[in-house]
Amino acid sequence: MNNTKTRTGKLTSIQDSLVKARFYGNVIMGETANVIVDGKSLQAEVLQIVADPKYEDAGIVEMQVFEDLTGAQIGDQVEFTGKSLSVLLGPGLLTSIWDGLQNPLYKLGEQNAYLVPGMKAPALDEEKLWDFTPSVAIGDKVTGGDTIGTVPEGRLQHSILVPFNFGKCKIESIIGKSSVNITEKVAVVLDSQNVRHELKLAFRWAVKSPIPFKERAIPSKTISTGVRVIDLLAPVSYGGTVGNPGPFGAGKTVLQHSLCKYALADVIIMAACGERAGEAVEVFKDFAELEDPSTGDSLMNRMCIFGNTSSMPVAAREASVFIALTVGEYYRYQGYNVVLLADSTSRWAQALRERSGRQGDIPGPEAFPMDIPDQIKGMYQRAGADQGTGGSLTFIGTVSPAGGNFQEPVTQATMDATGGFWGLSQDRADAKKYPAIDPLAYTSSVYDSFISWNDRNKMLQTLQEANGIDQTISTIGLKKVPVEKYILYQKGLTIDFCVMQQNAFHKMDACTRPERLIIINEAVQKLIDSSIDFAREDKEDEEVKELVKAKFDELRQWWKDWNVTAQSLDEMAVLHEKIEQFILQEEYAL
Amino acid sequence: MIRKEINRISEVGKALISVEGNPGVALNHVVELLEAETNQSLSFAKAINITEEITRFQVFNGTQGLSTQTKLRMHEVPLSAGFSYNMLGRSFDGIGDVADGGPEIIFDKQISTRLDTLNPTVRLVPKQPLWTGIPMIDVFNTLVKSQKIPIFAGPTEPYNRLLSQIAQGAQADVIIFAGIGLKFDEYHYFKEQLSQSGNIDKTIMFTHLAGDSQIKGLMLPDVALSVSREFADQGKDVLVLLTDMTNWSNILRNVANYQDQIPSLQGYPGSLYSELAKRYEVAADIEGAGSITIIGATTLESLEDPVPDNTGYITEGQFFLENGKLKLARSLSRLKQQVNGDTRADHRPIMTVMASLLADAEKAYEAAEVGAANDTFSQKLLRYREDFIRNMEEPFGESIELEAALDKCWDILKRHFEPTETGLSKKLIEQYWN
Repeated sequence: MNNTKTRTGKLTSIQDSLVKARFYGNVIMGETANVIVDGKSLQAEVLQIVADPKYEDAGIVEMQVFEDLTGAQIGDQVEFTGKSLSVLLGPGLLTSIWDGLQNPLYKLGEQNAYLVPGMKAPALDEEKLWDFTPSVAIGDKVTGGDTIGTVPEGRLQHSILVPFNFGKCKIESIIGKSSVNITEKVAVVLDSQNVRHELKLAFRWAVKSPIPFKERAIPSKTISTGVRVIDLLAPVSYGGTVGNPGPFGAGKTVLQHSLCKYALADVIIMAACGERAGEAVEVFKDFAELEDPSTGDSLMNRMCIFGNTSSMPVAAREASVFIALTVGEYYRYQGYNVVLLADSTSRWAQALRERSGRQGDIPGPEAFPMDIPDQIKGMYQRAGADQGTGGSLTFIGTVSPAGGNFQEPVTQATMDATGGFWGLSQDRADAKKYPAIDPLAYTSSVYDSFISWNDRNKMLQTLQEANGIDQTISTIGLKKVPVEKYILYQKGLTIDFCVMQQNAFHKMDACTRPERLIIINEAVQKLIDSSIDFAREDKEDEEVKELVKAKFDELRQWWKDWNVTAQSLDEMAVLHEKIEQFILQEEYAL
Repeated sequence: MIRKEINRISEVGKALISVEGNPGVALNHVVELLEAETNQSLSFAKAINITEEITRFQVFNGTQGLSTQTKLRMHEVPLSAGFSYNMLGRSFDGIGDVADGGPEIIFDKQISTRLDTLNPTVRLVPKQPLWTGIPMIDVFNTLVKSQKIPIFAGPTEPYNRLLSQIAQGAQADVIIFAGIGLKFDEYHYFKEQLSQSGNIDKTIMFTHLAGDSQIKGLMLPDVALSVSREFADQGKDVLVLLTDMTNWSNILRNVANYQDQIPSLQGYPGSLYSELAKRYEVAADIEGAGSITIIGATTLESLEDPVPDNTGYITEGQFFLENGKLKLARSLSRLKQQVNGDTRADHRPIMTVMASLLADAEKAYEAAEVGAANDTFSQKLLRYREDFIRNMEEPFGESIELEAALDKCWDILKRHFEPTETGLSKKLIEQYWN
């Protein structure tokens, strides 16, 4: 487009964050605009274009404004930019903390302690120098997505890419090995139309246009998240998708924080979408002092955070998730394993609901937009593994169902859209059984576990049966339950108490790696498979049950201690011995 | 300065008025309503929706008595609140006007009530406990400075008594009381309590009584929180008591309804979550300045109601009051992990173990109702449950220090269980069981 003068409009209606403006000439669907209020320039996005009922030669454009509009008046100027909402991609993304529109929060903090409408700062540090090493030469042919050089970004080699929408081009000039910042020109390419384009270390990319895969693949490599119930029963693979719903207080936040700390990945992106500011702050202030499990660096070196927290403008909430997704796709394209944690997709959906309500759309269930399931699916579809680049983008979205009711539209659509589902249960949370992922209800996964399908199913089945017996006990009483069933029930309790439950705040217990999981699984399988004939002699059934309970209580206490103390291989191996003993000792007693 | 005036109101509704055409008012700016003949000031109003055809206002004092002839005088600024240290010990209404019959106050400055978001980077991670002397809070759900936490309770529960009990022991420089839709006796009760505990001189009360103008109730938290924030910016530790946010949400619902907004759940607007969050998120421990702690009250029929449900997702936990007891099962302080790790070695484990046993006991209690809790251990659990409710869940009574409260926990466990039945580690058992 070659507009020499800016296209403008004038406000004709203002309601919360939704405005209408009259324009003459052309407006592009989805483009961004600036609304000028009291001399401040507020960012907006075009949602809809309609005919002007008053003037035939004019049109009305409907926009959402990403900042507070106090002081706006009819007639205020609107300037259209011709560009859709985009994110700046380049070195320096890692360790950054932005608001939902990629304004760096630490830079804004230098201007004011509060986020005042109209504040802006460059998305990436424009002064920092990067050591650029070219990988192409003058005359080379390149196309969109090709690498022209690299810069080291922390531990990663950050590839400098030709923007993805470029066709076949020829390198006309490129700088040698040198230190440059993101505003400097590093290469010039000539496209097939003989148009010259300057390339820099960073470029902008529209957030609603997914960055392509080189060669999309089925996610197949399991992620070690460190959380036992996940890695054993509801695992997720690199490039997978997971919905994580739970009523408030069920432990979504603690689980997210655990994943941040312990999930093995090259890059972790947090989209703090409409949630408490304090939780994001804890991540970037306290986690910075923690070690990355795979490198030993500061945990922040593998992270970046988009914070559109709950008191920030709602209109920017939708954007924050798309921006985070785009950054994730960018690192996937570079060949890295990225985990995106979006907390919470319900707030994102609510932002869409508020907007569609203001636009006067006919509401769907619970007043959400009718197409919300499609929008949710579309979002999760952007995750995936790429065998062309070797990278992946894993998307784990929390869901905050109204009233804790999983039947509500967002939870249902998420169940439909994701490969894994971690349902948090209020009952388990009330009993302080954390993490409160309920392995028996609403928890599922299509991805491979660190243990065999057979072992996984056996474990689930034991838990299921124990749960059934538990219900029997509470309806007809323990007396009517046969001893054999009671032993099975105690086995289930033991697996639940010692394996499924995990203390996220204990240094050692918080994270269990695959090698330890295998040892635990062997013990569990042994326990499930072995019949334990407790000494009955001429005891009444009730006495036997008391004995069974006492023995299992003792085992559980021991195992819990093992969870928080056994560190070396030798110490870990003791678990197997203990279980053998537990089974055998009782046989000797016969 | 001569202020522009508008001479004709075209529509008068329950809390809203409209003016035809575009008089040049800006969004959220304030106009003053004047009696046509005498120019006597009747009320203020705020522009909430502006189009070329019509401008809509929320009227602070209600619309009774307004006529189409009522004049609007434009002030060309958004609503601000007065701020002065002379406000301490005094009472104000929802828009910050003196409401105790005392002398007018000369304010030091006018402050914005827009409640801009605090930049997350200047927030400190909260790490300082606020001790209340209530074991149920100090042991099981420790309160932390700058936390935002409501009391969830049925309408007939003594939630205001609990709120005032927590306030009495509070280690705060300034207490801001923000009451919305209060009954007069509730207002009076708080005033008495604050006076008796000697806290009245560091308290500012913002009060909206049931039956007062709805818009004033709607504005009240913004005014009260803006004043709180100014104190915090000046380095003070501020405690805000916000009661009852269900009343506030109901006003929000009414006004959304007057504006013909599409309701989401139970008539509440889709923005309920964001609106509540905007207020609660004012709570913060600010780097290089003071802090704001918010303890609220949310009355409810059921936890699934939209107001408590949305609140639960916003606040850092909740205290659940039922039958006059502070219930362990549904109460939660999300920040407790920040402070309960360096108290006493047994603090965290005993908290977890007692909660888990209580959950088992609740199951046994349900089983007992159908005669199914007939084994020895279930009987133990039932006795434990009774003991726990009587001795731990009682929020009212003498203040107990943390150490004493922890010892009390061990006593209860010892009364009912064998050491291995608790699941506590050998080390702790050796140290504390005898």
